[in-house]
Amino acid sequence: MQTISTDVLVIGGGATGLGCVRDLAMRGMRAVLVEKGDLTHGTTGRYHGLLHSGGRYVTKDPQSATECAIENAILRRIMPSSIEDTSGFFVVTPWDDPDYGDVFEANCHKTGVPVQEISVDEMLRREPALNPQISRVFEVHDGSADSFLAAHTNARSAREHGAQVLTYHSVVGLIREGDAVVGATVEDLRSGEQKRIDCAFVLNAAGAWAGKIAAMAGVKVTVVPGKGTMVAMNHRMVNTVINRCKLPADGDIIVPIHTVAVIGTTDIHVPDPDVYGIEPEEVQLMLDEGEKLVPGFKQHRALRAWAGVRPLYKDQDVVNDRDISRTYKLLDHAQRDGVDGIISMVGGKWTTYRLMAKDAVDEIARRMGNTQPCRTADEVMPAPDFDHHSGNHAGEGAPSLYWLGKHLAAVEQEHAYGDLICECELVTRARMQAAIDSGAKNLDDVRRDVRMGMGPCQGGWCIYRTTAMLYEQRTAQPGADAIQSSTFTIQHANAALLHFLQERWKGLTPVLWGDQLRQARLDELIYVNVMGAHRLRSHAEQGGGLVTDHPEVATEYVKA
Amino acid sequence: MYDTIVIGAGIAGMLAAIGRAEAGERVLVLAKGHGATHWAAGCLDLLDIGDGDPLAGVESLIADHPDHPYALAGVDAVQAGAARLRAVCEAGGYPLVGSLRRNLLLPTAVGALRTTCLVPATMAAGDARQLPKEGDGGGPLLIAGFRKLRDFFPPMVAANLRAQGFAAEGAYLALPPSDRTLDFSTVSFARLFDQPAFRADVGRQLRQLVQRGGYSRIGLPAVLGLANATQVVGDLQAAAGALIFEIPTLPASVPGMRLYRMLEAALLRAGGRMQIGAFVQRAEAQGDRLDAIYTEAAAREQRHRAARYILATGGIAGGGVRAVDATTLVETALGLPLRTPNARADWFAARFLNETGHPVFRSGVATDSQLRPLDAAGQVVYQNVAIAGSALAGCDSIREGSLEGIAAATGWMAGRA
Repeated sequence: MQTISTDVLVIGGGATGLGCVRDLAMRGMRAVLVEKGDLTHGTTGRYHGLLHSGGRYVTKDPQSATECAIENAILRRIMPSSIEDTSGFFVVTPWDDPDYGDVFEANCHKTGVPVQEISVDEMLRREPALNPQISRVFEVHDGSADSFLAAHTNARSAREHGAQVLTYHSVVGLIREGDAVVGATVEDLRSGEQKRIDCAFVLNAAGAWAGKIAAMAGVKVTVVPGKGTMVAMNHRMVNTVINRCKLPADGDIIVPIHTVAVIGTTDIHVPDPDVYGIEPEEVQLMLDEGEKLVPGFKQHRALRAWAGVRPLYKDQDVVNDRDISRTYKLLDHAQRDGVDGIISMVGGKWTTYRLMAKDAVDEIARRMGNTQPCRTADEVMPAPDFDHHSGNHAGEGAPSLYWLGKHLAAVEQEHAYGDLICECELVTRARMQAAIDSGAKNLDDVRRDVRMGMGPCQGGWCIYRTTAMLYEQRTAQPGADAIQSSTFTIQHANAALLHFLQERWKGLTPVLWGDQLRQARLDELIYVNVMGAHRLRSHAEQGGGLVTDHPEVATEYVKA
Repeated sequence: MYDTIVIGAGIAGMLAAIGRAEAGERVLVLAKGHGATHWAAGCLDLLDIGDGDPLAGVESLIADHPDHPYALAGVDAVQAGAARLRAVCEAGGYPLVGSLRRNLLLPTAVGALRTTCLVPATMAAGDARQLPKEGDGGGPLLIAGFRKLRDFFPPMVAANLRAQGFAAEGAYLALPPSDRTLDFSTVSFARLFDQPAFRADVGRQLRQLVQRGGYSRIGLPAVLGLANATQVVGDLQAAAGALIFEIPTLPASVPGMRLYRMLEAALLRAGGRMQIGAFVQRAEAQGDRLDAIYTEAAAREQRHRAARYILATGGIAGGGVRAVDATTLVETALGLPLRTPNARADWFAARFLNETGHPVFRSGVATDSQLRPLDAAGQVVYQNVAIAGSALAGCDSIREGSLEGIAAATGWMAGRA
C-alpha cells in the first residue's frame, strides 16, 4: 500500500477544506486534502451562490452577520474573478411585518453590516421588475459567487504553495493509536487502490458528512443535514440580490448569478446527507414566494431544481433547524472527547469559509509550534486555466470582479463565435479543452468548471460535443499538456454521455412544463431519434469508470 | 374564404395541404414556424422493430392498439402517405430510397445505428448491412468531417462503429478556402457544398485519402448541399472513387430542411398558399362546426375562415401541445380536449432513456377514424376539423420510431379530398 506522509490531512473538498489546505500550505505546513468526489461535489456546489452581506443574520445570529460583513470585503479582494458585485436589497413586502424594517436597520448598525435605506422609486428605477407594493428598501453589499470557480481558485493557490489536493479519494477509515488519530486509509475511487496517509493532524472539514468522519475516530458529532431546495430561472429578472426583509424563511431570496436567477431555499431536516428528493410542494413554494417579489415570476422559464444539505452543527437541543446558529464551531476532540490528533470544523457558510479555515489552522499551528501568521486575506489568488483571462486579467493592474458580460466580451475579442461548444453559457472550445485537461473525470465535472449544460437547452447540443471532445482529448497522440489515458476508451465516452443525460434529467423533472418541457422533448428527439444514444448502452463501460456512480459518491437527488 | 386551412407546416400539415390543393381546393397553410422537420433526421421512420418487416409490424400494432394513429389511418393510408412523400421528393430531384418491408440501419453522429425506413439517396450507402466488417479484408469505412463543424465528430463516430465490429476510421478534412471564416453551422456548410469549387476541393482530399487508405465507403456529415444534394453526393463519389453517404448531425438538420423545401415547392406548384409566422391563438365555433380562426402576427389579429380545418401543429416538441403549468396540458391552437396522463406524478419515468418513454409525451388529441377530434365522452367536437401528425394522442412516435410514418399517413389521409 502506498503511504503518504504529511503534517495535516484535510478531509473534504468543499470551500472549508480548500480554505484550510491553502492556509496550511501558505504557513509552510505539509498538507494533503482528500475529497471523495470532484471539488465542490457536496454542499459547496449546491448552494445559490450568495456572497452574504451579513444582512440575513443581523437579528438572529449577530456574530455571523459581523463575520459575513468582514469576509465579504476580503473575498472580493482575494478572488475577484469568482465574484460579481450585484449589490443586494432587503425589501418589505405586503406579506412582511412592517415594523421589522427599523429593527433590521438598527441591527445592521449594531453588527457592522453596511446598510443604506433607499426609496421605493429608486428601487424601481434600478429593478423595474420588483413588486411596486414593496414599502421599504434597504441596500446592502450582497454579491453573487461562483463556488465552483472559487474552489478551483483556492485549490490552485494551495497547490502552488505545495499542498496536494486529491479528488475522488474517499476516507475508508481513520487510524487510531491509543487515544490519538495518526492517519487515515483512503481509497482512490478511480483505481480502487487504497493508500495510507500518516499525519500529525486530521482536519475534518467534511461539512454535512463531518459526523460520519468523526464516527470513524470514535467521536460523536451531530451534524443536522438541512436540505435546501433551489430553482434556477432562465432569466435575470433582477440584477440585484433580493432578500425579503424579515427573519429568514423559505423562498425568501433571489440571487442573480451568471445567466440565471436562483430562488431559494427550503430548510428540511433529512436523516442522511446522501439520500433526499425534491418534493413538488417545495418547487411550488419557491415559485409562489418568487411571485411576491417579482410579479410574473412564475411565467419565467424554470431551468432546473436542485438541493444541497447545509452542515448545521447541533450544539444542544434546538427544535427548529432554522434556529441552529449559522456560525461555525471548531471542535477540539482532545479537549472535548479525549481523542487527540483530530479537530472538526463544523457549521458555517460559504461566505465565512476563509475565516473558518484561519481559526482551524491557527489551532493546528499553535499545537504544532508553527508561528507563521495567516496570510490568506492578503494574497490575491490566480484563476484556473479554464476561466477567461481577459480584461485586467492579462496582467495590467488588478484583476477585475466577474461581470455578466465577461464571457461574451472575451468571445467577441477573440472572434470565437464559431468555437462555442456550449452556446447557452458561451463556453469556447479552448475553455472546454482546459476544463477537460484540468482532470475532469466525467461531464458533470466539466459542467461544474465551465457551466457547460447549465443553460436553457440543458445540454441538448453541448453534451454531444463535449463527449466527443473528451474522447478525442483523452485518446489523442501524446501532446504538450493534455492528459492522456491509454485506458480511456469509447466505452468510457459513451458512459459519460449516458450518465450526464441522466444527471440532467434528475434536475429537470421537478420543473418540466412550458418551454422547458418542450426543450426536454427536443433533447429526446436529438438523443433518441437522431443519435440513437440509447443503443450505446451495450457499448458503455458499466459504471463507465465514472466515479460518480460509485456508491460512496452517488447521491439520489430525486426519488426513483 | 378557403376550402381548407391547414394549421402547421410539418410533414403532416404539408402533405394534407398538398393533397387538398392538388384536388383543386383553395388551401391556406398557417404556421407559427417551420415545425420539427428541421430538427429530425430527414428520413421516414416507419416503425423500429429491429430486423423485421416494418409494414408487418405496423399491421400487428394496428391489431393490438386500436387507438394508435396508425390504426386510425389504416395500413393503406400508411403506404399511400409514404408513397406521396416519395413522389413529392422525386419530383424535386431528391429521391427517397428504401422499402416499407425492410428497415435500414444507418450510422448516427455518435456512431450508433438507427433504424429508419425511407431515406434520401444521399444516405443510402450507409446501410450497416453493406458496411465493411473488421476482418472482412475489403476496404475499410472512412468517417470524415471538419473541425470547424461543431455538430459532427468523426473520431467518436468511427470508434463506436469499431466497437460494433465495423472496420472504420475517422479523419478531419482541411477546410477548403471560402468567404466564410468564423462561424460555421450545418447550414453554412451545406451552402458551401452547393458551390462546385468547394466540393471539388473536398473531393480531391477524399481521393487522396482513398488512395492512401483504400476506403470503400465514406460517411460525411449531412451537410452536402441544400439545393443540389443528390448532385453534390454524385460529384463527391466520382471524385473520391468511393461510395459516399451522409450522417445526420445535431440540428439544424440539413436533410430536414431539404425535405421541407420539397414539400413547400409541391404545395406552391399546386396553387396552395402559405403564411409562416402566423400563430393561431383562438377559434370561433357555431355548434359542432369550426367557423373561424384567429392568428396573431405583425401586432394585429387576423381572422381566417374555411369550410374545413386540419390541425397539424405537432405534439409537445412541435408546440401543438403545451404544459401551461406543472399540471395542465392544453392544445394550443383551438383549445381542443386532450388525452393526457392522469396526474403529474405519472408524467415522467425516472430514467431519461427509459425504454417506453415518458407518458406525458403521449398526450394529444383523441380522434375518431376520420381523424375528427373527440371530447372525453367520445363525442365529435368539430365535424369540420381533422387532426394529423404528432398532435394525435396514443403514441410516442420518437420511442416507436414512427415519427414521419405517422405524419405521412395521417397527413395523406387528412388531405384526401
